Amino acid sequence: MSAEVANGVAPRNAPISSRAAATGAHIIERVLIYAALALWTFIALFPLYWTLSTSFKLGRDVTQGHLIPWLDFQPSWKGFQSLGLSPDTIFAHSNVRDEFLNKFFNSVICSLGASALAVVIGSLAAYGLSRFDYKFGVWRNKDISFFFLSQLILPPVVLAMPFLILYKELALLDTRIGLILVYTLMVLPIVIWVMRDQFDTIPNEIEQAALVDGCSIWGAFFRIVLPIAMPGMVAAFILSIVLCWNEYFFASLLTGFDAQTLPVMVASQTGSQGINWWTMAALSTAAIAPLVLIGIFLERYIVMGLTAGSGK
Amino acid sequence: MRLQVYEQLMAMQASRRQLMKGAAGAAAAIAANGSLALSATPAYAADSIVAQIMKIPGAGNGSPTDADWQKVGELCLEPTKATVQPGEFKGIEFSFMGLNNQNLHNFLFRGFLTPWEAYTGAKIKWIDLAQADYNARLQQSIATGTVDFDIIEMGAPFEGDMGVKDLLSEMPDWVMKQIEFDDIVNYLKPPVGAWNGKIHRVTIDSDCHTMNIRTDVFSDPDLAKAWKDGGGKGDWGPPKTWQQVLPINKFLKGKKVKGKDVYGFLDQPKPWGGFCFYFLCSRATAYAKYPGEKNWLFDENMKPQVNNPAFVRAIQDVIDCLPYEPADQINADPGTTAFQQFLTGTGSLLEWWGDIGTVAKTSDTATIGDALSFDILPGSDDVYNFRKGAWEKLASGPNIAPNMAYLGWGIYVMKTVDADSKRHKAAWSAAAHLGGKDLSMWTSAYPSGFQPYRKSHTNLDLWALAGYDKKYIGSYMDSQSTSYNHPNSAIEPRIPGIFQYYSIAEDELQKTFAGKETAQQGADNIAAAWEKLTDKLGRENQVKYYRIAMGL
Amino acid sequence: MTGGKFEAAHEDLSERRVRLGRWLFRLATLLLIAVVALQTLDAAGVLTIGFANWRPVLYTYIFWGVALGSSQILTRGEAGQQAAFVLPALLFTAAMVIFPTIFGLYIAFTDWNLNAQSGHHFNGFDNLRTLWGDSYFWNALSNMAIYALTVLVQYAIAFGLALLLNADIRARKFFRVAFLLPFMLSPVAVSWMIGKSIMENRFGPAATFARAIGWENPAFFTSPWIARTSIVIMDSWVWIPFIVIMLLAGLQALPVDVKEAAKVDGANRWQSFWEITFPLMLPVSVTAIVLRVIFELKLADIVINVTAGGPGGATDTISSFIYREYRDRSNVGYATMIAEVYLIIIIIFVTLLLKALGRFMQKMT
Repeated sequence: MSAEVANGVAPRNAPISSRAAATGAHIIERVLIYAALALWTFIALFPLYWTLSTSFKLGRDVTQGHLIPWLDFQPSWKGFQSLGLSPDTIFAHSNVRDEFLNKFFNSVICSLGASALAVVIGSLAAYGLSRFDYKFGVWRNKDISFFFLSQLILPPVVLAMPFLILYKELALLDTRIGLILVYTLMVLPIVIWVMRDQFDTIPNEIEQAALVDGCSIWGAFFRIVLPIAMPGMVAAFILSIVLCWNEYFFASLLTGFDAQTLPVMVASQTGSQGINWWTMAALSTAAIAPLVLIGIFLERYIVMGLTAGSGK
Repeated sequence: MRLQVYEQLMAMQASRRQLMKGAAGAAAAIAANGSLALSATPAYAADSIVAQIMKIPGAGNGSPTDADWQKVGELCLEPTKATVQPGEFKGIEFSFMGLNNQNLHNFLFRGFLTPWEAYTGAKIKWIDLAQADYNARLQQSIATGTVDFDIIEMGAPFEGDMGVKDLLSEMPDWVMKQIEFDDIVNYLKPPVGAWNGKIHRVTIDSDCHTMNIRTDVFSDPDLAKAWKDGGGKGDWGPPKTWQQVLPINKFLKGKKVKGKDVYGFLDQPKPWGGFCFYFLCSRATAYAKYPGEKNWLFDENMKPQVNNPAFVRAIQDVIDCLPYEPADQINADPGTTAFQQFLTGTGSLLEWWGDIGTVAKTSDTATIGDALSFDILPGSDDVYNFRKGAWEKLASGPNIAPNMAYLGWGIYVMKTVDADSKRHKAAWSAAAHLGGKDLSMWTSAYPSGFQPYRKSHTNLDLWALAGYDKKYIGSYMDSQSTSYNHPNSAIEPRIPGIFQYYSIAEDELQKTFAGKETAQQGADNIAAAWEKLTDKLGRENQVKYYRIAMGL
Repeated sequence: MTGGKFEAAHEDLSERRVRLGRWLFRLATLLLIAVVALQTLDAAGVLTIGFANWRPVLYTYIFWGVALGSSQILTRGEAGQQAAFVLPALLFTAAMVIFPTIFGLYIAFTDWNLNAQSGHHFNGFDNLRTLWGDSYFWNALSNMAIYALTVLVQYAIAFGLALLLNADIRARKFFRVAFLLPFMLSPVAVSWMIGKSIMENRFGPAATFARAIGWENPAFFTSPWIARTSIVIMDSWVWIPFIVIMLLAGLQALPVDVKEAAKVDGANRWQSFWEITFPLMLPVSVTAIVLRVIFELKLADIVINVTAGGPGGATDTISSFIYREYRDRSNVGYATMIAEVYLIIIIIFVTLLLKALGRFMQKMT
């Protein structure tokens, strides 16, 4: 990465007094930078800390605003206990845990499936739109792009009733494949957008050389372009996963039991009997955990990928 | 931890007889000096099933778990065994749609029905819904023909939606006998639970709003003195009429009890998927429900009464009260007021369903403990007679009209099973198991989302077995059963689309409470929107259904 | 920064191959039409074949798509191969939206209310007329304008954060991951954990903090402007990371010599930012802002859960209003019309935005 350039180093041959002043300014600047970083880190992480710690609180600890475990409140396993995931319940039979695991795996399969499908067909389309001039009747590249983008704009609720009827007729209600198809539709525009930027920045001389060597355009795409565009695909893939993972509207509309996903279970922690803070927090924690791992291990791909191919 | 308790109980099973003897002795002792007991003699044998299940897991042992539910279900299988042979329903599979609020409802049913499945051989597939999705999902299923369930947990207000489409199976006689139908409180008998003369519902719950009262606030001597000194009318105490509520709120604003801010009555101005409207109705019924008159929300021709002076007064009451309630009260929905405010010590008066009383004892959210008593909803010095268009003072004193908001959950079997007699029997047997008499005593006393709904639930000795203090639960059951049996209780119209009416009302009320409209304007807007909606849904039909629903 | 376009090479294809391609396509099309016709007749009750569902049409459509792609390659050679790149996505999207779009448009012109016993009827422009006089719609639309404008603030903050992350700092990876995490919490959890817990006016840490700095009786959702701000803060908390990573990617893609040029000392840093970095970042910025505006315009979950549009409609959004009409009131026809009108408004708005920004960018560079 090329960002590792030293900041504001004063020229060596400057008079000593001005160098001291520059160093002073430099120190102040560093302090300000780290202060700003720390502040925003706090803003970003505090709600997550709150969620995590709430999963170990009893109701009264939530409603009294207790913050620090052992100091303010005695942590309890209640949240995870109600999911059958605490140390004392983990080996006992638990309906709720079965439900949780079922929904968790549905979430995994639907997110992965939809993201993979979207990245595959989205990358192909993006490459086509980036490299070739299409003429489908009156449609040119710009129109095709906008057609894809318009799917992003559509408020999902418009599709609720039509999709319900369509899926009923196709026997896709409450199936994972049905959910995967809808999610693919949902994230496809973003994938195409990201990947088109990506391909646009890869100079086409590379493929040209391959074509001259007798490669077909598909061959050139798979052997030459794809490896270069890999970080972008990973980035698009991760963005898709995050969006699918948290999708609630279609999950609640199109599933009943077999294909139900985690957000539906999180939402159902509220109702006319109030809210189980600990369970909701524990569920949210469990739901965000895989994404956090993705964030930690694949974060560099996100930025690298979105750096549109020239980040290296 | 709870598992240990359960295992302990299991271990005790060996010496159960002994345990029961001890418990019965204790119960008898309490009954002897407890004058509040609604029924004097224990109507159960010490080792009867109901006595056994009431101790699972016992108050103070935290919320019951899946293992407890299964155990209760197992013990309550007797009535099923009397009507069904072991393995009789082998090979039958049906689906059950219900809520999964807080991992209760459907999860509870799963636990109860696990032993039933083991005994009968039937298999159940579960469809879980969040409460927020329930209405939408149900309506969409009905309208698009995607009804993919054989049994449904449903509130009585939806009976109209189902009834007019003729989707429900009629309750067979043997089920009626098995669940001891007569024991159910009268207001939940037809027309409620039935449509056009056919009974459909296995009741598992009852709903009415009662007044929940913080006893420490209303017995505080300093406050009593300050009330007298400030020229408050009468003795310091909980309100008996709605007219007394505003002065109490004004008085309590800024006061402290045990160092904590204390407030008076809590309103619920934020929409809550239609449910919020019930709370305005509970404030309005004493003004609007005239004794002997069944109609109160509409007249018999579906002309809305929501903008008559009674409702306008109730709306104005809320507007007047809000400045004397906690900050941000305008963004409080019913869930906030009950579970985040009242149960944790903010506010001293709350209208709510029966859960508050049991939750305060058995849930981990509550911090107010025992400082709680219960009463029927306040009355009103005068009542509006919409036939005459005038306010009247009744000779009998204040008008009281408890609001039976939502009428409780029930289990309904869909008509789809009627074709196959074995399926029919299996589905109804499952429903009857959930609506069983013994089981219902347990769901009333423990966190389940369901309230007492039987006459036999007034037996305080049974509550004592679950660890309830008799005085406390006596006050609770008193408020409940007085409301249930009140001759002037307000029953809502179970017409198709009733929640649409409520939802529109909520939206308008929200604007009114925020000060964008006067009470009268807001009420007029609701009435106008309701008229439009009635036209849209088909006025002639709606009027017909209204009369069926109200039993006119 | 664009890769050039390829022209399809002209090649001579054997006549047999072209004919084969044409016939393949024709046959597949015939098959598709036949299956659709059969299913339609079956559904209408004219024929009794007894299809359980419409899956056969789905399978035939997939086959038809494959045939279309193959015939393109067979008949048009390299041009066909080029078309094959975009066809899967196009066919997929078309298949998914063609029925919902047509059916949705049809619904929008009916009086369909799920509880109406008489079903649904075409009612012309009635829904549009109702919409025109619906104060909830106009109120929500004006709120949307405010929400959309806040994207600029979010963008400014995000730009600052991206610059911070791009500066020479230690523990860069930690900060990057930390900044990214809010994006991953589900909106439902955000509503409850932040809106109803952290911002609760008695025990919430935010309220405690507000009291500590002198706001005596903090209420985050009572006065219209504070309520709106609170909603925006929660929404921004989730989405700022999204803008940050896009901008950060853009910053890192800047050519090295630009970075060198920008590396002047103190007083001129501000100038060099405005004159060099900012203009170069404009394309990325436009992408980020447009995407963010589109997502902002769909804001719903947080509002539904936290304020239900209150107080008095101050935080209502079009989407949350549609949800109420659609779900709470089963008013399918009218709600769909609102959504369709809103869709058109957004498309016009986004097109104008792209145009305006495009011209602006040309002027700047």
